Amino acid sequence: MYTAEFAYVRPDDLDGVYSALDEYADDVKVIAGGQSLLPMMKLRLTTPGVLVDLAGAQDLHGQWCIQDGVRLGALTTYRQLQHSPQTLSLLPGLADTLAVIGDPPVRALGTIGGAVAHGDPTADLPAMLLALEAVVHLGSARGTRSLPLQDFITGLFSTDLADDEVVIAVDIPQPPSGAGAAYEKFEQPASHLALCGVAAVLNLDGHMVTRARLAMTGVAAAPRRLGVVEDALTGTSVSDSALDEVAALAVEGVEPLEDLHAPALYRLQLLRVATRQALGVAVSRAGAGWAA
Amino acid sequence: MGHTQDGTEVTVELEVNGRQRTRTVAARTLLVHFLRDSLGLTGTHVGCDTSQCGACTVELDGVTVKSCTVLAAQASGSSVRTIEGVAGGEDGSGLDRVQQAFWDEHGLQCGFCTPGMVMAVRQLLRDNPSPTEDEVRHGLDGNLCRCTGYQNIVAAALRAAETPAGEVR
Repeated sequence: MYTAEFAYVRPDDLDGVYSALDEYADDVKVIAGGQSLLPMMKLRLTTPGVLVDLAGAQDLHGQWCIQDGVRLGALTTYRQLQHSPQTLSLLPGLADTLAVIGDPPVRALGTIGGAVAHGDPTADLPAMLLALEAVVHLGSARGTRSLPLQDFITGLFSTDLADDEVVIAVDIPQPPSGAGAAYEKFEQPASHLALCGVAAVLNLDGHMVTRARLAMTGVAAAPRRLGVVEDALTGTSVSDSALDEVAALAVEGVEPLEDLHAPALYRLQLLRVATRQALGVAVSRAGAGWAA
Repeated sequence: MGHTQDGTEVTVELEVNGRQRTRTVAARTLLVHFLRDSLGLTGTHVGCDTSQCGACTVELDGVTVKSCTVLAAQASGSSVRTIEGVAGGEDGSGLDRVQQAFWDEHGLQCGFCTPGMVMAVRQLLRDNPSPTEDEVRHGLDGNLCRCTGYQNIVAAALRAAETPAGEVR
């Protein structure tokens, strides 16, 4: 299957990327790993006249320790992250999430920038990034700006990214010491896309939950935080029955998607179950330290 | 990498199996079609063409990727190894250990998935030289076989892992 025709440019640096986006304005897409974009282009779901390859922009490659966590260049691949023990040791939950994205060759090319910019409602990584309170950095010829990922994701394949902007980096703060994290996913077996995925990052003081961050993907138009569950958990003393009760709240306010793989009610049930499972695993890891 | 005036054609310069190759092709040319149609290296197969089956798996700068989901233009400037570049190995003779293990364990029936499977197993063993059976099954997640039920492919991967790299048998 061929994509529609397009012109291909690979600028040597970030300024070149910005210029190309300016020049070709309404008829341009940027390509990073291409693992989502190229399949869409083959199906002619998108037919940009110009494709701007980010690969030449060295500023988008790399991982840096920052004051409260890690900054990942937008072109950091899932595979690179899986082979970055220092980053994984700072960010609980990341390794579990990376391991269930696509398959090994897809992870070799797929990037964190693509994961957030694509706005895919079934993407795994955004759920964990939301639970870790990631911040997205955007750049354009007009300058740079930053916003929390939860404000950046606006809907179904929709983000706050302007036509002339690119995602340049994602900051992931390290959660408070002793955090336990988990990512639980029910997938469509052929595509590996999430029918439902839930990320949980918890801190405990003894049996008491002191901090809870949860997010889901695959169920609704966009990945999003599960604020009702977070509020109910905080201050709760952990027990099987308490976690059962809290997990049942996960569906509150969620407007589920429906497709031939999973009816809406089934997706909601998966959301309850995945939330309960993620809470159980995160609790078991919290306080006990964890290994990447 | 050069561009024609309207940019819908690109000049792709690649090192393929140790040999420098240059061709001017449509920008939308996929790496798998570049390898097969422009260079005549038909060992890399087009299976599903949707990034699911792994029959098109090749090594791009030493890491396996699905060449149906990479533009030839993206790969320009890189080094590619296809199944044609696997046999012979360093000393220029014989099958490599993964190919030999597929032979010994009868890890194929129709053979369509085999080039991709061999590339995937090579990556698996580079990442994890002594995998468990479970790790092999997960490691081959991106490669489909519709004949074997995977049993002999997994056996071949485990056998290859027991063979020192560079040693055929």
